[in-house]
Amino acid sequence: MNSNIGQFKALLIKEYKEAFRDKRALMVALMMAFMAPIMIMVMSKVVIEKAVDKPPVYIKFTGAEYAPKLMAHLKKENLLDFADIPEKDKAIWDERNIVINIPESYSQDMADGKTIKVHLQADFNDKAVSPPVRRINNAIRDFSLSIGYKRLLLRGVDIRLLNPVKLVEQDTSMPDATFIMISMMMGLYMIMAAFMSGLSVAIDSSAGERERNVLEMLLCQPVSTLKIVLAKLCGASTIAVIGVALVLVLSSISVGFVDLTKIGATFSLGFTKGLTLFLLLLPICFFASACQLFLAFQAKSFKEAQSTVSMVIAIPAFVPFVLMMMDDRPQWLDWVPIAGQSLIMEDVFKGVEVNWLAILATSGVTIAITAGLVAILTQKLKSEKVVMALS
Amino acid sequence: MKIMWKQLMAASLLAVVNNSWADNQALTVEDCHLGEIRSKVKCGTLQVPENYANNSGDKISVNFAVLPAIDNSEYKAPLMFLAGGPGQAAVELATSLNRVFREIRKTRDIILVDQRGTGQSSALECDLEDEEDVYRVLPEDLNIEDVKSCVSQFKGDVSQFNTENAIRDFDAIRVALGHEKINIYGGSYGTRAGLVYLRMFPESLESAVLDSVGPIEVPIGMFGQSGARSFNLLLDNCKNSESCHKVFPNLAEEFQAVKARLAKEPITLDIQHPRLGTPTQFVLDDTKFTGNLRFQLYGVEGRSMVPLVIHQAYLGNYQPLIGLIARTEGEQLVYTGLLFNIVCNEDIPKVSAKMREIDAANDFDGAASHLAWELICPLFPQYRPSEDFYQPVTASVPTLILSGDLDPVTPPSNGDFPAKTLSNSKHIIVKNASHTVAMSTCASNIIGEFLTSKDPKSLDESCLEDVPEETFMTSVNGVE
Repeated sequence: MNSNIGQFKALLIKEYKEAFRDKRALMVALMMAFMAPIMIMVMSKVVIEKAVDKPPVYIKFTGAEYAPKLMAHLKKENLLDFADIPEKDKAIWDERNIVINIPESYSQDMADGKTIKVHLQADFNDKAVSPPVRRINNAIRDFSLSIGYKRLLLRGVDIRLLNPVKLVEQDTSMPDATFIMISMMMGLYMIMAAFMSGLSVAIDSSAGERERNVLEMLLCQPVSTLKIVLAKLCGASTIAVIGVALVLVLSSISVGFVDLTKIGATFSLGFTKGLTLFLLLLPICFFASACQLFLAFQAKSFKEAQSTVSMVIAIPAFVPFVLMMMDDRPQWLDWVPIAGQSLIMEDVFKGVEVNWLAILATSGVTIAITAGLVAILTQKLKSEKVVMALS
Repeated sequence: MKIMWKQLMAASLLAVVNNSWADNQALTVEDCHLGEIRSKVKCGTLQVPENYANNSGDKISVNFAVLPAIDNSEYKAPLMFLAGGPGQAAVELATSLNRVFREIRKTRDIILVDQRGTGQSSALECDLEDEEDVYRVLPEDLNIEDVKSCVSQFKGDVSQFNTENAIRDFDAIRVALGHEKINIYGGSYGTRAGLVYLRMFPESLESAVLDSVGPIEVPIGMFGQSGARSFNLLLDNCKNSESCHKVFPNLAEEFQAVKARLAKEPITLDIQHPRLGTPTQFVLDDTKFTGNLRFQLYGVEGRSMVPLVIHQAYLGNYQPLIGLIARTEGEQLVYTGLLFNIVCNEDIPKVSAKMREIDAANDFDGAASHLAWELICPLFPQYRPSEDFYQPVTASVPTLILSGDLDPVTPPSNGDFPAKTLSNSKHIIVKNASHTVAMSTCASNIIGEFLTSKDPKSLDESCLEDVPEETFMTSVNGVE
């Protein structure tokens, strides 16, 4: 028994030495983990800005002098006159060329209670123009309504009559539900990290070693094939686990720099939540490495291994997206590796009570498949065909 | 004798049970949807003694809501809102408070408590036979018998529905929710409540904001002078505005003319009911006219229409006034039972004949604002707070005091009282705002800054200078 563990330990140390020897390759492998927090931060900032901030819009007015109150209202909404534009923005807004024409008869028509037609000209196909156009629409509608309400009020009408039906939205999600985009991205990144970080190590220790003739030598030693496979699996998975942990820690730190309260959201990953996510992803790390080892051994050359395994990476990236698009998810999805974990992660982020049974179930299935892959691999490595890449 | 024994037994039994279960059984909190707020919030109730001097006596249930902080990763002491009136139910104001305090809610819970006697906290209400038709009824038409029968329908010991007990309730909720300290924002009568809170439980308060102050030293209810001051500011502002003065050059004279005309003889008009569209009558006398104008003076939007309304009334067109009345027709703004219970017992007894006389000597609505108290107060059961209640409040809790210069009920001079007696306070007067400054201006952001810094004297008040001067509508179609 002792010698068993001793052997395994020696094999594992060998795998670690191989994996950690090339520091630069390792850093590239963990790139995913380092990039995640930056991506999450930048994307959130962009989304929030689009959702809340009202950047200044510069409009070329004609007839502004006829409607001082309207101009004041637009100014309050940060819809400004092109004449006041700072020099550095001039070129952009000159090109966007948003024009509003206020008719000369504005004040007379207002006094007469006639509908005033204000014209808005812009290239409506230009994507950069559509947010300003939407804001101009809203601002003018609000302005128009507020005058309309007062006109009726001053004629003795109960202005509440103008709102016969009012829809009140009641959101049933948990009060501390997190900003969906960050949860989604973080979940995706973590699964990706599990697959990507260990990738190069897995290929190198299988197809790579075969090409360097190390594998042959290893298999000639008086150790069981299972141990060799397990050692390789552990080596690759360790890197994957480090990748997942890095994504988890770094992104929860970086999210602190984004003011999510601006859009009425918050994101906090407490210790328990973080630990739950980590435990949930642990089997995925092993599963990912097992898949990669399996495919890499299956390949005839290092190059082929690289391309096949890289293609498989698309799966973890794809699954969460597909899940998001699906409205009615079949029950069996809860059990499938990656899909099951994605669904549970969604719950963790939402702050919903975590179903530990589901975690156990999906982890069990994942581990079982991993074990199956290991067993098949062990069997296969006993055949020279696979070792020499003959078949 | 036998029966009394039994009651005694039951009472002592209840007391024991209450003492041992107080913390678990008295408080309930659950997720709920409130008003028009989109996200879920918390609603709760706390059982408190009706009479705090008799813990084993009857219990009443106090209703409250918590708008949870959006980002609660870092604990910050919550903000409790003390409603005005007296008689406004804080929980019913959740929708607008959620908007006003959205910056503060990003990091702090907002706690709203229905003061005992309002909302879902044993409201002092009664079923009145027929709904009042605001268009037809004159203020003087009040039916004494209706009020009497209404008062007789109140449940419980009404004398316990006083300010000091309300504060005990508020502090009990603070304790029950597990907060060592809270911040308070009081608006209007809420400032009176806030001052009493500062006196009774200063150690519970991290800071206080008093917006549009009703100080202990000034009895609530004498609104003649303050109303006239606010109205005269409006007349001045109209005169100084080129467009307003051009269209309404004789506004002050026209107002007096309409008032005199209506005082001589009320008018009766056949109109379409503004909401129902059915034929009804509109009756107007001078008290109703000035009363409705006074109501518009509370906010800049209402104020913007006052010159036009006066001018049109002068020309014989009362439709603008009817439209203004329609804005709040049929809505319960305050729980009048609690309003009169508190004002009639805590304030009006402190008003001397001399004070009445001075207050009535104004050219806006004379003694009209006293009418309700004179008619109704004698019909309410009596209680009297102790003399200590009327002593100026001293405390060293950081306090921000806000006043709107245009305010028709709590003029800036009111804010000077607590500014003098509270050692760590600052009084900010906002020139172009009316009643409850934080509800309509950027003062809500200054409050947010104050809650963090706790230093009332070094706040960035610059945004208040950008509050625009009041503007007025000059035509029924809204010119320009």
